[in-house]
Amino acid sequence: MRRRSLLAGVAAAGAAVAAGLYRFTDLIVKHYPPTPYDDVLARLVDREEAARLGAHVTDAGAPRLLAARLRKTLAGGLRPALEAETRAGRLVEVDGWLLPQSLALLAALAART
Amino acid sequence: MSAAIDARTLPTGTALSCDLAIIGGGPAGIALALALAGRKWNILLLESGGMDFDSTVQHLYAGRESGTRYAALDAGRLRYLGGSTNHWGGWCRPMDELDFAAQDWLPHSGWPFGRAALEPYFARAQALVEAGPWIYDSKGDVESADKGAMLPLKDGGVYTSWFQFSKTRGDVLPTQFGHRYADDLRRAANLKLLLNANVTAIRLAKNGTGVDRLDVATLPRPGAPGKHLTVTPRHVVLACGGMENARLLLASNDVMTTGIGNQNDLVGRYFADNPIPRDVATLVSFAGPLAPFYGSNQVMDDGAIMRATFAPKAVFRTAHHVTGSLSTVEQPVDLDQTGKAAVITTAIALGIDASNARAYSLGCGMELAPDPDRRLTLTQDKDALGMPRLKLAMHIADADFARFRRTLVELGRQLLVSRAGMLRINCHSRADWLANMDWGHHHLGTTRMSADPRTGVTDPDGKVHGVGNLHIAGSSLFPSYSASNPTLNLVALTLRLADHLKTVLA
Repeated sequence: MRRRSLLAGVAAAGAAVAAGLYRFTDLIVKHYPPTPYDDVLARLVDREEAARLGAHVTDAGAPRLLAARLRKTLAGGLRPALEAETRAGRLVEVDGWLLPQSLALLAALAART
Repeated sequence: MSAAIDARTLPTGTALSCDLAIIGGGPAGIALALALAGRKWNILLLESGGMDFDSTVQHLYAGRESGTRYAALDAGRLRYLGGSTNHWGGWCRPMDELDFAAQDWLPHSGWPFGRAALEPYFARAQALVEAGPWIYDSKGDVESADKGAMLPLKDGGVYTSWFQFSKTRGDVLPTQFGHRYADDLRRAANLKLLLNANVTAIRLAKNGTGVDRLDVATLPRPGAPGKHLTVTPRHVVLACGGMENARLLLASNDVMTTGIGNQNDLVGRYFADNPIPRDVATLVSFAGPLAPFYGSNQVMDDGAIMRATFAPKAVFRTAHHVTGSLSTVEQPVDLDQTGKAAVITTAIALGIDASNARAYSLGCGMELAPDPDRRLTLTQDKDALGMPRLKLAMHIADADFARFRRTLVELGRQLLVSRAGMLRINCHSRADWLANMDWGHHHLGTTRMSADPRTGVTDPDGKVHGVGNLHIAGSSLFPSYSASNPTLNLVALTLRLADHLKTVLA
């Protein structure tokens, strides 16, 4: 009985530590200050890399409008939207890199928040 | 056995005659001579140089350039037996069907015949350039299968095409026509090879309808003055290369005062080359290193030497008004922070594992649009033989770069659609394009063919309009140019001319 309690306690402590690491550190997942656009930016796994890229987008417009546009275009999911844009040739250049339009805009939004 | 004769050893005033005089011992002149070897006609092959490089002879090529920066006129060609095959890279690829077609969005384009007219000659041309079995796009994918996987390019405007290469022997350069075929030329009983013999004028009959004789001169040597000879031929083929063909026609102006064949002011116009801008794009392969045939020449099982290249499809060229281009992988490159961010962000968004991604620079051989103002003219400067030197007005339009850019964008799109990789375009201004510009030294178009004398210097058989016994051979005949390297194609065209001459000479 004591052994079972001990194991349960260790498991609970481990879960608490993991939850803490997840919530309060960037070891498991990166955390970012809250923005009004987190519902859109949540589609990016690595917002820092996206922001590095998006810093080169020069004509994306205001973040509020950008986010509103992306909510529409990405409503069916990021990957399907990007694949459809690529098939249709809706590409833009960001620092010379040819990217699906919505990915460039998403990166631009990351860079502006 | 016939012999090679050094024209400098002949007495001045020597008069020679022949059924056919071939002026120029480059790939066209040699291919033509070999095609007519063993026939009943007495042929004289006149070569300005000797068997090896001589700087004094080479200096006869010097001239001036203006406009877009271009190679010095004596730098991109060689003046001795074998001509510019003495320094070529051996790249071979047959021109595409569309390269021959008049494209309504590309003014002045179009050959007077289609690729079918050259098809019967490609196999022999391939043998002469020693490029091994004919593979190219017909089965390049199969031939290369055991060397690695091709980049998957799903449906789109760009496809993987293939170069083949003239045979290399250890560290020896590709087939150099002079050294390779000198013995064959000497063995032909009906052929005389006259070395160090510079044709300085093509003399027409007074009515201008035919060539009467050729004036030939040799350069003086220390203690020995230059010699002056004449050749009286039944027929003449001018095969001196894309610059010198125009020069000799323009300079031979005693009867036709604007130059032979120049009654419509076309000789020397429409000059072209294949620009080779380097590092035009960065290609990322998500899956890791590219197969070796993308970045370097690979010897296949049957001995063919091959390399992959990215080419626009005919349907894409037509729909998007794109000229020919052949983009090749140059070398691995490291990505900067933005490049890494682009790859990481894109791959993750598309659900692709790019942890082993590799990046490479791309270079390209481009086709220029025909331009009558890109032209060769004579200057007042004279060379050591008294021949007027050339001036080249070189020009690349921004539209030439823009057309090629569309192909790069399509390649980038296809890489993404295929989940195979992505592309960065590295050139964004005219200065970017010109910054890393090389040239193919492919001198094209200055005596273009056309059935209509108003739009061509020669007819579709290469006969100069209005001059009954003067033909031209070589890439100066190309009315539009292709991105394919010209040597294989000009040799095929010359073999076609040889068949025509068999009828004419008979």
